[in-house]
Amino acid sequence: MADDASSSSGCTGNLVDNSINQDELIMKQQREIEKEISESIPLVGDLEVLSSLEKEYTEDPIYLLKVKDLSSKYKYIRRTRPDGNCFFRAFSYAYLEHLLTDKAEYDKFYEIAKNSKDTLVALGFPQFTVEDFYETFIEVVQRVGEQAGSSSAGLDAVRDELHDKFNKQGYSDYIVVYLRLVTSGQLQMQHNFYQNFIEGSRTVTEFCRQEVEPMYKESDHIHIIALSNALNVGVRVKYMDRGEGSQVIAHDFPEGARPLVHLLYRPGHYDILYA
Amino acid sequence: MAEISEKYNTKCPGVKRLMREAMELAEATEEYCARPLDDNLFEWHFTIQGPKGTDFEDGVYHGRILLPKEYPMHPPHIILLTPNGRFEVNKKICLSISGHHPETWQPSWSIRTALLALIAFMPTPAEGTIGSLDYSPAERKVLAKKSRTWSCSECGEIINLLSSTAAKPITEEEQSVLNQIAFKGEDEQAAKPPVEEPAPEIEPQVIESSDNSTTFLDQLTEILVALLVGAIGIFIYRRWNIHQTTASDDM
Repeated sequence: MADDASSSSGCTGNLVDNSINQDELIMKQQREIEKEISESIPLVGDLEVLSSLEKEYTEDPIYLLKVKDLSSKYKYIRRTRPDGNCFFRAFSYAYLEHLLTDKAEYDKFYEIAKNSKDTLVALGFPQFTVEDFYETFIEVVQRVGEQAGSSSAGLDAVRDELHDKFNKQGYSDYIVVYLRLVTSGQLQMQHNFYQNFIEGSRTVTEFCRQEVEPMYKESDHIHIIALSNALNVGVRVKYMDRGEGSQVIAHDFPEGARPLVHLLYRPGHYDILYA
Repeated sequence: MAEISEKYNTKCPGVKRLMREAMELAEATEEYCARPLDDNLFEWHFTIQGPKGTDFEDGVYHGRILLPKEYPMHPPHIILLTPNGRFEVNKKICLSISGHHPETWQPSWSIRTALLALIAFMPTPAEGTIGSLDYSPAERKVLAKKSRTWSCSECGEIINLLSSTAAKPITEEEQSVLNQIAFKGEDEQAAKPPVEEPAPEIEPQVIESSDNSTTFLDQLTEILVALLVGAIGIFIYRRWNIHQTTASDDM
C-alpha cells in the first residue's frame, strides 16, 4: 500500500513511470532469455570435432566454406559459454592445458604469474581483494605445475580436474577476474601506448574500470593485446565472419609471437581451437 | 565463525572471500563496523558513524547487508534500519554508479567499499530518487540524536558497536571509486545490468511494479464499466418508467 501512495503522487508522473517500467521489463526479459540460453551452455565444454561447426551453418554457404578452410588446420573445437567472459575463460583454459605438456613454458609463466600480484598492488589495486583472486588463480596454476610434463595417466587426471574447476562458477570466475585485473594493470602501466586504441574521450583508467575490470564485459583487440603482452603468451585468433573470401583470417598477438593458444572468433564470441 | 565454517564449503571462493572480509572487518572502527549473522554468512549487519560536518554527524546508523550468492561477482544490497532522514528504512537500496561514464560493480570492490561509499553518499541531495528521503536538516539532526539510543534486536545498542580506532585510511584509488558510487532504491535499478538476488526477490519486485501499472489501468476500466452499467441502468429505468406512465395514461 505504501508503494501505491508514493506512486500515485501525480497522474502524468505515473504514466511516465509506467512506460519506463514497460521498457525495463522488456529489457529484463531479453536479458533473462539471453541468460537462459547462456546458462544452458557449460562454462567450458567438451572437446568436439571441428565438423560439428558445419551443423550450425547447413544453409550458409559462406560459413560452410570457412569451416572447411578452418578444418584444414584444426581438428577440434572446445566451446565456451557466451557470457562476455569467454575470451578470458577460453584463453586461460587453453593456456593451462598447454602448460601441462610444456614444463619450460610453465616455469617461465609461473615467474610472471607470481610477480603479477605485486605489480597490481603497486598500481593501486586494493591489496585485500587482489590477494583473494590471486590465491585462487595461483592455486589452479600450481596444480597444473605439479603435473606438468608427467606421465599420461597423471595428465589425464589433472586435465579432468582442470576441466572440473573451470566449470565451477566460483573458481572459473575467480580466474577470469584475476586475468581481467592483469589486463587492466598492463593497460594502465603502458597507458601512453594503449590510449591510441581507445575511441572517444575516455582515459585508459576509465576504459579499464568500464570495459576491462567488470565481469561480463566483452573483450576486444585491446584486451587481447594487453593480456598476451602482460603474460608474454602468444595467442592466435582465427576470425570467422561473413566477410569476403573463403579463408579464415588469423591474427597473432603479440605480433610475431609463437602461438600457444588458438582461439576461434565469431562475432561476439571466442571458442578454443585444437590442431 | 566456527559454526560458519561447518555450514559452508570453505573451499568455495565466494565463501572464502566473505570469511576473509569478516576477518578484515572484525575489529570495529570509529567510522564503521560490520559482521555476518551467526547463522548466515550471506547476511551481515553494519553500523556506520554519520559523516563529519553534515546533518548526520551526531548519528549512528545500523542496517543489513544482503550478499547475492554470486558475490563478489555481483554487488551487495543494503537495507538501513535506523531512521535517518536520507534513506527509507527497511527498503533495499543498491549501489549504482553515478557520473559521466557509468561504471558497474567490480569484483575487486568489497563490503568496506560499499560502507565507505554509503557514508560518503549520505549528505548528497536526495533528488527524488526511489528509496531516498529529503528531510530538512533540522529533522535529520533530530533523527541523528535519536539514533544514538537506537538498538537492533540482533546486535543490541548500536552506539556500543563502533570503537574509537580509526579505520584504515582511504587510498587514492578508493577515493576515486567512492566519488562515483551512488545508492538507489531498487525500483530504478531494473534498468541496470543483471542483478541476481540471493533469494528470488527481484522477480516479485519487478512484477509488482508492472502490476501497479495494470492495477491502475484495471481500476480505470472498472470505473468506466461501472459508470456505463450505471448509465444504462438509469436509462432503462427511465424508459421503463416512461412506458409505465404512458401505459397508465392510456388506461
